Amino acid sequence: MRPLPQPSELTRPFWDGAVAHRLLHPRCDACGGAFFPPHAVCPACRAAAWSWQESAGRGTVHSSTVVHRAPQEGFATPYVLAVVDLDEGFELMTNVVGAGALDVTTGRRVRVAWQQVGDSVLPVFEADPEQEDASA
Amino acid sequence: MSSFPKVAVAGVGVTRQARRLEGQDTLQACLEAARLALDDAGMTFDDVDGIAGRWPGPGGTVFHPGSLDWGSMLGLPLRWISDTYPQGIPAALEAAAAIEAGLCSSVLVLGGQAGELGEGAVAPYTRPDNEFVATWGAFTAAQFALVAHRYLHTYGVAWERVSRVAVTIRNHGHANSEAVMFGRGPYAIDDVMSAPRIAEPFGRLDLCLANEGAAAMVITSESRARDTGRPVVRIVGGGCEWHRQQYVQPARYEDVGMIGQDAARRAYEASGLTHDDLDVLQLYDVNSFEVVRQLEVLGFCGQGEGADFLDDVDISLGGTLPVNTDGGLMSHSHIGWGAPTLRIVEAVRQLRGEAGTRQVPGARTAMAGGAGSGAQYYNLLLLQRG
Ligand SMILES: [Zn+2]
Repeated sequence: MRPLPQPSELTRPFWDGAVAHRLLHPRCDACGGAFFPPHAVCPACRAAAWSWQESAGRGTVHSSTVVHRAPQEGFATPYVLAVVDLDEGFELMTNVVGAGALDVTTGRRVRVAWQQVGDSVLPVFEADPEQEDASA
Repeated sequence: MSSFPKVAVAGVGVTRQARRLEGQDTLQACLEAARLALDDAGMTFDDVDGIAGRWPGPGGTVFHPGSLDWGSMLGLPLRWISDTYPQGIPAALEAAAAIEAGLCSSVLVLGGQAGELGEGAVAPYTRPDNEFVATWGAFTAAQFALVAHRYLHTYGVAWERVSRVAVTIRNHGHANSEAVMFGRGPYAIDDVMSAPRIAEPFGRLDLCLANEGAAAMVITSESRARDTGRPVVRIVGGGCEWHRQQYVQPARYEDVGMIGQDAARRAYEASGLTHDDLDVLQLYDVNSFEVVRQLEVLGFCGQGEGADFLDDVDISLGGTLPVNTDGGLMSHSHIGWGAPTLRIVEAVRQLRGEAGTRQVPGARTAMAGGAGSGAQYYNLLLLQRG
């Protein structure tokens, strides 16, 4: 069985947001910096005050790997594990899915998509048909 | 002249390293390794007043899980403990500082695993149980692959030119009768490149083992080590470096690609040595990319130039810079939390001239490394004979 997120009090808004197809991330009230995952204080300036902000869900693949052997059952192989840099200035570890996913690599523009797994909704990414790569 | 505390590795001990140690548990295996290390040092448990080791259970105290439980079971009044994460090099460095400060005199470092690994499944410590890790099917090898992929993209290096280090290291293990993969091979680059892919660019033969066994070592003052009459291997420098929360926070090549460089600089400074002085390297070869990256970090070549360096320098036994002479984590053994100590054990054996058929002639100075870029921390130890 594929592991599904078990949210903590700190992370629950992120996963609740996903159910509503909203990609949320912490942004510091003091320095304005975006970060992920959520922490008690902003990693840039240590301010305790930060707020959940909604991302437009567009970003660029920082790096990716095609996984052929999953660490446990419940994952259909091959699948793409990626680090995506969102335009708002935070990063997410995620999966790239959809047509041509295995060819999506560093520099490719991607946009969020929503994947229902069991009772959870996961923010995954797919190649952005409107933008080929970050330099375009 | 070294400014590092005057300490030595007085003894090392390893159990049999195997795919599985049937009928044993981690506690028994660690105990056996500890006895062997003490015998090797010419000491007994009664000489030990400091311990660094993860307690595998069963049982254990509630508030100090770890080293204290070892002291309790062994009936030792302890003066110093370290629940260092992970074991190996950070434990050796902490022990050196504690001995220098007069907090204790002789430290036992131990770790390993037995009767724990299931069939087929990846080792539990390779898949962190976290909502931002497990959800995406991430595991340690895949996270290192993200760093390696970015490196290849940045420097335009063909994977084959990196992956070839797996051939060298695996062939060292092929020839080492103590290695889990003894007799498996020899390998050629085509074998490594055509092995089943795990997480690109890594194939099965690019990655380390996950097997069973235990390892231990005794750290004591240099003067006390000399009293044992055994060949003395001094710790002459070392350093550690951590970046961000490992695995939960994605590892980015730009941040962690050179992790270890600063630790190495400090280690060289404390020891008065440079990379040119190192006769043999025991790198932390969790995958083939890490071997190349660590050569860059240690100063043997510039960033992104590791593959070019391998064109010019032979890192095999008989070459000018022998690396992972026992077969490393890929072919000799990877025993979880005990694995970092294995890298030190091989360095010590080489410096004592006790490495048998894999002895590097005249080896006087060695380096042992731990962890890597995907884990977002690195540490190293410089050791010298005499
Ligand atoms: Zn801030």
